[in-house]
Amino acid sequence: MDDAGFIVTSYVLTLGGVALYALALLRRGRRLARRLPDEDKPWV
Amino acid sequence: MADPVATEHASTGTRFTRWLGIVTLVGVVWLVAFGLLASPEDVVQRSSVRMLYIHVPSAWLAYLAFIMSAVGSLAYLWKRTRSLTWDRVAGASAEIGVLFMAITLVSGSMWGRLTWGDYWVWDARLTSTAFLFITFVGYLAVRGLGGSPDQRARRSAVVALLGVAEIPLVHFSVKLWRSVHQEASVANPDGDVKMNGMMLFTLFVGIIAFTLMYVWLLLHRQRILAMEDTMAERGLDLAIAERRTDAANAVTPPAPKPNPGTTAPSEKEPV
Repeated sequence: MDDAGFIVTSYVLTLGGVALYALALLRRGRRLARRLPDEDKPWV
Repeated sequence: MADPVATEHASTGTRFTRWLGIVTLVGVVWLVAFGLLASPEDVVQRSSVRMLYIHVPSAWLAYLAFIMSAVGSLAYLWKRTRSLTWDRVAGASAEIGVLFMAITLVSGSMWGRLTWGDYWVWDARLTSTAFLFITFVGYLAVRGLGGSPDQRARRSAVVALLGVAEIPLVHFSVKLWRSVHQEASVANPDGDVKMNGMMLFTLFVGIIAFTLMYVWLLLHRQRILAMEDTMAERGLDLAIAERRTDAANAVTPPAPKPNPGTTAPSEKEPV
């Protein structure tokens, strides 16, 4: 594959960026959910 | 900081979001396999066409997220559907849109380096996209200003509705002005798709995977915003209760002080 460095880097930046954001959301959600009772979580 | 409370459900996930996450991951793995290995090279762009499979879905997702943010804002502003849930949907969607617009700009500039020989050119499509990105960064900044949740919702809704009006300008910029950016290969008005079948299929997989990813991210982010609002409300209630207690103590007559000339028996000096 020509220009493999550029192509693979663009995939890593895209998917890595989304993965980091998703992990940050999960961690933040867990931290907040521990501090609130279940009746304050309509999705439960 | 509040103490941990008794809770059985200490996350923003549900059975639906878990399954959605698994399906999204499968879609992303499929996209990477097809995008990097199975899809053919382009006659003109050769291997660099593989960037299409993440660049176009990222741009599509940013558009979708900004449009959803405007829909949420409109639903909040309309009296019959006014609810802070709509405001939170708008805020969560805009944040996801900003992330994907940033990804679009980065992947696009890398693709531009391979096809145009430069990371950035002041072209109509690139410049209008950057302007859209900055508008929604401004939207997030407006959400971060002080005030009540309703003030936040009203102010930010107006910015979202102004910002989303830029999307047609970005999309049609390649037709309105002379541009180095190629015109739409799939979503073009004449309906003539100028792509190889395998390339089109890979792009389709990318768009589906990214759309599922958007739904997953939106659900989690919106639930976090709901909990943050509840925590802020509780913090405010607690602060008001403390102020009331302080005020009540201030008007209560103080307990009589002991006469300075007398001393407590235990403090008497030994004779």
